[in-house]
Amino acid sequence: MVAAFDFVPAIVLLPFVSFLIALFAGKYMPKGGALAGIAATAGSLLLSIWVAISLLGVSGERIHQETIYTWATGIGDQPWELTFGVLIDPLSALMLIIVTLIATLVHVFSLGYMNDEGETGLPRYYAGLGLFTASMLGFVVADNLLMAFMFFELVGLCSFLLIGFWFRRDGPPSAAKKAFLVTRFGDYFFLIGVVAVFATFGTAQFAGPESFPVLAEQAVAGDTSVVNTTFGLEPTQWFTIVGLLVLGGVVGKSAQFPLHTWLPDAMQGPTPVSALIHAATMVAAGVYLVARMYGFYAVSPTALAIIAFIGGFTALFAATMGVVKREIKQVLAYSTISQYGYMMLALGAGSYVAATFHLMTHAFFKALLFLGAGAVIIAMHHNENMWDMGGLKDKMPVTYATFLAGSLALAGIFPFSGFWSKDEILYEAFIYGLNDPLLLGGWVMGLLAVPITAFYTFRMVFLTFHGEPRSETARNPHGFGWNVKGPLSVLGVLAVVAGFINMVPVQKLTGIELDFLTQYLDSGGEGLTYSGYNALLAEYGGYEAGVVGTEVTTLLIAAGLSLGLAVTGLLVAFKLYNVPEPVEHTAKLGQVKDVLYNNYYQDEFQVWIAHRTQSVAAVADKFDQGVIDGVVNGVSSVSLFGGRRMRKLQTGLVTNYAALLTLGLTALLLAFGLLGGWFV
Amino acid sequence: MIIEALIAFTFAAALLVFAVPNKYAGKVAFGLSLVPVIGSLYMWSLFESGGNALTGGDIAFETIIPWVEIAGIQVQWFVGVDGISLPLVVLTTFLTSLAIVSAWTPIKERQSQFYGLMLFMEANLLGVFMALDFFLWFIFWEAVLVPMYFLIGVWGGPRRKYAAIKFFVYTNVASLVMFIGFMALVFGLNVETFGLPEITQALANDQLGTWFGIAPDTLKLIAFLALFVGFAVKVPVVPVHTWLPDAHVEAPTPVSVMLAGVLLKMGTYALLRFNFTMLPEQASLLAVPIAIIAVVSVIYGAMLALAQTDLKRIVAYSSVSSMGYVILGLIAFTEFGVGGATFQMVAHGLISGLMFMSVGVIYNATHTRIVSDMSGLADRMPVAVGILIAGAFAYMGLPLMAGFAGEFFIFAGSFGSTFLPYAPIFTALAMFGIVIVAGYLLLAMQKTLFGEYRLETDYEVTAAPLHDVAPMAVLLLAIIALGVAPWVFLDMIFDAVAPILANGGGL
Amino acid sequence: MVPPEYYLLLSAAVFCIGLFGVLTRKNALYFLMSVELMLNAANINLIAFSLFWGNMTGQTFALFVIALAAAEVAIGIGIILVLYRNFGTVSVTDATTMRW
Repeated sequence: MVAAFDFVPAIVLLPFVSFLIALFAGKYMPKGGALAGIAATAGSLLLSIWVAISLLGVSGERIHQETIYTWATGIGDQPWELTFGVLIDPLSALMLIIVTLIATLVHVFSLGYMNDEGETGLPRYYAGLGLFTASMLGFVVADNLLMAFMFFELVGLCSFLLIGFWFRRDGPPSAAKKAFLVTRFGDYFFLIGVVAVFATFGTAQFAGPESFPVLAEQAVAGDTSVVNTTFGLEPTQWFTIVGLLVLGGVVGKSAQFPLHTWLPDAMQGPTPVSALIHAATMVAAGVYLVARMYGFYAVSPTALAIIAFIGGFTALFAATMGVVKREIKQVLAYSTISQYGYMMLALGAGSYVAATFHLMTHAFFKALLFLGAGAVIIAMHHNENMWDMGGLKDKMPVTYATFLAGSLALAGIFPFSGFWSKDEILYEAFIYGLNDPLLLGGWVMGLLAVPITAFYTFRMVFLTFHGEPRSETARNPHGFGWNVKGPLSVLGVLAVVAGFINMVPVQKLTGIELDFLTQYLDSGGEGLTYSGYNALLAEYGGYEAGVVGTEVTTLLIAAGLSLGLAVTGLLVAFKLYNVPEPVEHTAKLGQVKDVLYNNYYQDEFQVWIAHRTQSVAAVADKFDQGVIDGVVNGVSSVSLFGGRRMRKLQTGLVTNYAALLTLGLTALLLAFGLLGGWFV
Repeated sequence: MIIEALIAFTFAAALLVFAVPNKYAGKVAFGLSLVPVIGSLYMWSLFESGGNALTGGDIAFETIIPWVEIAGIQVQWFVGVDGISLPLVVLTTFLTSLAIVSAWTPIKERQSQFYGLMLFMEANLLGVFMALDFFLWFIFWEAVLVPMYFLIGVWGGPRRKYAAIKFFVYTNVASLVMFIGFMALVFGLNVETFGLPEITQALANDQLGTWFGIAPDTLKLIAFLALFVGFAVKVPVVPVHTWLPDAHVEAPTPVSVMLAGVLLKMGTYALLRFNFTMLPEQASLLAVPIAIIAVVSVIYGAMLALAQTDLKRIVAYSSVSSMGYVILGLIAFTEFGVGGATFQMVAHGLISGLMFMSVGVIYNATHTRIVSDMSGLADRMPVAVGILIAGAFAYMGLPLMAGFAGEFFIFAGSFGSTFLPYAPIFTALAMFGIVIVAGYLLLAMQKTLFGEYRLETDYEVTAAPLHDVAPMAVLLLAIIALGVAPWVFLDMIFDAVAPILANGGGL
Repeated sequence: MVPPEYYLLLSAAVFCIGLFGVLTRKNALYFLMSVELMLNAANINLIAFSLFWGNMTGQTFALFVIALAAAEVAIGIGIILVLYRNFGTVSVTDATTMRW
């Protein structure tokens, strides 16, 4: 029987084939290899859906794990096996659909954004997209931490290549370098984490009875024979360290503070790339990774609290910067950082489902917003400054309608998808935060970010689409075809409805069963389920839900607060910017605005670090050339100097040699004579 | 007999190429160099892994012929391979062929002598990796220097004489120290031959007596230090590395390829064969200082690379950095550590070879190697630049390429090492090299390859010719193949490494 | 029979004359002659001892030395000729181009 799971490798390989086709044959093909990419990603999408449906059909544990390839094996009794395998459970199946869906839509959109705009180097572009999609899918299906790390790095490479797509300009290559380097810095910790996991557990499998989260749980439960901790640390302490090390990679890839600075710069890449990589998928890799190995984090509450705090802080911190940006993509970039902060907050708050839920809705509405921004950018002849736009809503109704849907979702307005997921995050952070001050801090910051999010989102919408056109191009925007409108419409619909798959608040209020996503995610294999994680958290993390009054009142307070704040932010933006001739109100903030506009001088700080490193390198070079090589050359000069003196003896005159010979002989004879007593 | 045939053929090929007219020398040398490639691949196909040659495992393709007697100890023609040397033999033949092709463009005079010396060097390198008698090995070891000296000194850049003499004297003095140290050990051992297996096993059986009143343990320590110094120069590690950048900068591209790709591996190979196989207890004693040297080499070498403005110096210093990983893997003394170090020797040979070829292709086109003189080269030579970028990422340790495999094995092996105190800290420190390497390579790439094309030349910079790009493409394929399937070498390496670890007290 | 001491004294005297020439002269031709004297001093020794011991080896060796001296003169004069052509002099102190 042909089972869907046999085709899981094909999901990864199809885009890889499209990469090869685009790279080697792209220039001989119509549309520069785009069609191969569309066919491959669409094929992967269909296969992913099939896999996800098959998973629904599995009774009992919904999990499929298979080792496909052994990369390296040690020797001995219990050798380390470094393998590649696939792990399909509800989480990865969901992620597969998200990635393949957005990849397909972005490929289609690229026809409008790249091909129709007459870009050169299209085979390179589509090869990059294909390789990215393949690597990302490989990461999603990875069944162990090493494989995950490997594909994690590969998506970083693709991000580098695609950000730097316009390599003839000066900006994009620099941004690409920064993106790779900053994420590399995070990956450094991640790699230590991977190595530490191997050294500690002897395996890096995510699932199964011999997987490292399971072994970690056993160790925490008291059976320390299964692990080798380092420096004589307690298992919990050591796992916290390892968890934080892996978190380094997560912070880098998901653009969390303090490694978020690369993401706004990455907007130098083509807009479809921003939508695919820097909004919906690659940036989600960090969050997905934590969700993937959640069983491991669940036993180290300290790591989780730190995750929550970083997340909450990033959510607020990035949102404030989004308020003052002039370029449409910059606003979206900071909003992306901020939204991933929410997901981290959810993970830290123990709410694995809320994080995954927000990951999904965010993927849809943020990809939508980026593609919408792309459409606006096409219309504006690649001018991204919102202050040159205005009044576009009448000229591009499809874009406006979908962009508005995405914005409402991002702002968290009922009943758009973002409302459901963000509300769930804040609710969970709140109830667990009642018993944990660090979490409560995260919740407060997340809550503060809500009105700011609504404000900057609608500032963007009003500046772009409302009011009077503020430039010649805004009066006569460039048109575009179905390949732009199609993907926008699909995502627009999803941005509206995707939230309905997990209406937990409604369920709690009415009792109707509406938490489909929660149930789906709870049906995975043993140790990989939502309820399993909750049990772990309750047992080892001391996570306990608090309530204000009853559960329903708590729910209403949390939801009411976040919705009320979001609406407030929206109304402020409406008041200030929904006018024919808006002005830069943010300029009134004075110095605060400068600080925000310059991103809290975070970039300057990192540039400063980079320059200091180069200065240290220059000093090291001086030291090397002067001292170390100086010693070498010194030794050589000493011997050369000695030789130069010694060779003066060699006059070349036979007379001198003969004299020396004679003198020598005489001296020898005298010496013999004196010692031998000849003269006595 | 196949080893004799391989070495003899390569020597004969070298002589033949000396006699070929300059015009045809490159093509003839390439054709002849394919024979050792096929020969080594044939050896690989016949090879059956069976332990470590030195500790009493199977020695494949073994030949022993008594030669002369020195001070009552028999010198033999004793050759053979095991899982550690075979990958390096394959690397040597493979890289020599490609280096010869990459020489077609830059080498414009005295071609027959150039290619003859390249083949002569190849023959000696094969001897180094396959000889199992100390004297024989030492002859090959020293004989490698001679062609290298001429290759740098005759075909090199403006300061070629300085670089060639520095290289020759530095490494030769080091060899002398090593030789004396080893001789002390051998004379104290009371063995009948200079065969390395016999010496290793005698040492393992505690046959070392006092020699000139020096106690066995002191003697071993002295020998270990002398050997370490001798090999460290060859590797090279900080602080005895300064000959390397000079040699690389002055050497022509194909010679740099050989120097970084194979010659540096002689040092690490010998460290593994002598220091770590024969004297593991002394290695354990000196584990912390050696690990410090390794970490300093990694970080300091990478920092130096960051400060350079010459592309070739960047790659040269990064070799110092990469070789630091190998030392770390060796001193970790675990299966993955030592095995990964051996794997990294091959991986780094391929990757640094590719990097030097890429820099050479850029130099051929632009006649400069200074980073700030270039910009936007990707516009003019897309294929070569594409391969260069791939090679740079391989150097940074991108997964599914050979560099990552080697580095990951080393890190994974060293992190949990019980042989090396504070292993996790040393490992974590050394791993920071992967960030710095990304920093300097990305910076150099951004400045030279990307941005607007602004180079002012009185001729048109065009895409590189096929015979320049083809060896790069072949190397890239090999790097990817090894990264995807490291087991092709790793299995036999592990087989040969395991007895060493057992020899060191079952660690 | 003349005692060997006389031969030895003669030989030493001839040798010293030759040595004196080498030490004091600058003309290459004088050098050649002085060397010839020293070789002949050695010959006297060889033959004297040969006579003294009744062994023919010494005489054979003397013949060798004579042949060698002839060859040496031939080459030496050749060198001196070249020296004169290149430097316009036969003084040994002037030819210093290859020194140091």
